Amino acid sequence: MDVKLVNPFIDAFTTVLPQMGFPTPQRTGMTVNDQNAKSQGVAVIVGFTKEIRGNVVYNMSEDTAKFIASTMMMGMPVESFDEMAQSAISEMSNMLTANAATNLTALGLEVDISTPSLTVGTDFQIKISNEQYLCVVMDVSGHQVEIDIAVQQ
Amino acid sequence: MEKVKVMVVDDSRISRMMVSSMLAKTNFEVCAMAENSAEAVALYAKTKPDVVTMDMNLPDADGIECTRRIHAIDPKAKIVMISAMKDAKLIMQGRMAGIGSFLQKPVSTNELIDTLMIMCNENVGAVAVYRESYVTTFAKVLQQSLVSIFGIQSEIEIAQNEESVLHVDGVAAVIGIVGEPKGRVAVYMDSETMYSLSKAMLGMDPQDDLSADEAEAAIEEAGNIITGRAVSRINDVFKDKEMRITPPGTVIGSDIILSNPELISFNVVAKTSYGNVYMNVGFARGV
Repeated sequence: MDVKLVNPFIDAFTTVLPQMGFPTPQRTGMTVNDQNAKSQGVAVIVGFTKEIRGNVVYNMSEDTAKFIASTMMMGMPVESFDEMAQSAISEMSNMLTANAATNLTALGLEVDISTPSLTVGTDFQIKISNEQYLCVVMDVSGHQVEIDIAVQQ
Repeated sequence: MEKVKVMVVDDSRISRMMVSSMLAKTNFEVCAMAENSAEAVALYAKTKPDVVTMDMNLPDADGIECTRRIHAIDPKAKIVMISAMKDAKLIMQGRMAGIGSFLQKPVSTNELIDTLMIMCNENVGAVAVYRESYVTTFAKVLQQSLVSIFGIQSEIEIAQNEESVLHVDGVAAVIGIVGEPKGRVAVYMDSETMYSLSKAMLGMDPQDDLSADEAEAAIEEAGNIITGRAVSRINDVFKDKEMRITPPGTVIGSDIILSNPELISFNVVAKTSYGNVYMNVGFARGV
């Protein structure tokens, strides 16, 4: 797993979130995993392909998802993780991955990204790679978002 | 749904009959048939078809000249050329005259319907185009692949997904689609069906042991193969499209909600003796 290919995803996260009104996220953890990721409540999968292929997952608790959706909607209260909040989280994942794709292009690697797939539930696992993948934990105002990145070499 | 009117322009009576018989059981209705350019222009003005199929060889002017004359009375006319020859020069001249699409004789029913659907996008709506041009292909490939991968027969049903969420208990392989149109496919089933199917895929007996990891990997690979085949088939029909797929991501567990508020999606169900295999095909809105 080449770290060079992972930085564009982390950079996208730290660049895009402040543009949506969040304080600059801090990286609080980074591990190389080979077990399936466990859903924390809300997990969005975005696939990419072309010069490199893989998947990225944005994995967070429902509380964090509601906090992010609320901030994205100019502080509108989000009581339940409803369709509008789900759209906001999908859109954020789309923006993050599109920004990462732009960062990858700067490295000379063209990628096209799929539409995000949003999954909700507390009792499931996510498998994005047959091999190792990188798990980065980002802190946004005390809320943790796990980013799982798998790139097929 | 309102019928879409088609005018068929061809000097051969057999060719005209072939096109009308292909469209007989569809949402297209042949509103006029013309055997030469002059008749085509007159009938176009009279019947105002939504789309025209145009032969290249006409007795009084060729199909390109006939297209120019129709465009003179309706600059928005949608015209698809169906001719025996299809080369770069003809396509270039045709495009300049305003021909939207080119098909070579003999035309298959699917090819003709898909092309007309795409041409009439604004007239028939995105949902119908997605269903006829993409989802039916996914459904056919699913059915064929269940035979070739698992050796099982199935009954297929297709319905537009009216709810914004899917409920998954078991396993779901999610495969992204990039290109035009963009979207994603989810192939999912319950655990019992997953074990039965993956054992069939690996040539094992029902009482043999198979780990959860291996069973999930088998379903993931099957989902990947089915989606890949369907996308290749669609790319073969629409030469100007290039859809590609992303590697599968798999979710495994119970009470999983797969939410897609942004997608126009369709549920395909394959009923098999091992249980139901579900495939949801979703496309981004506004393509």
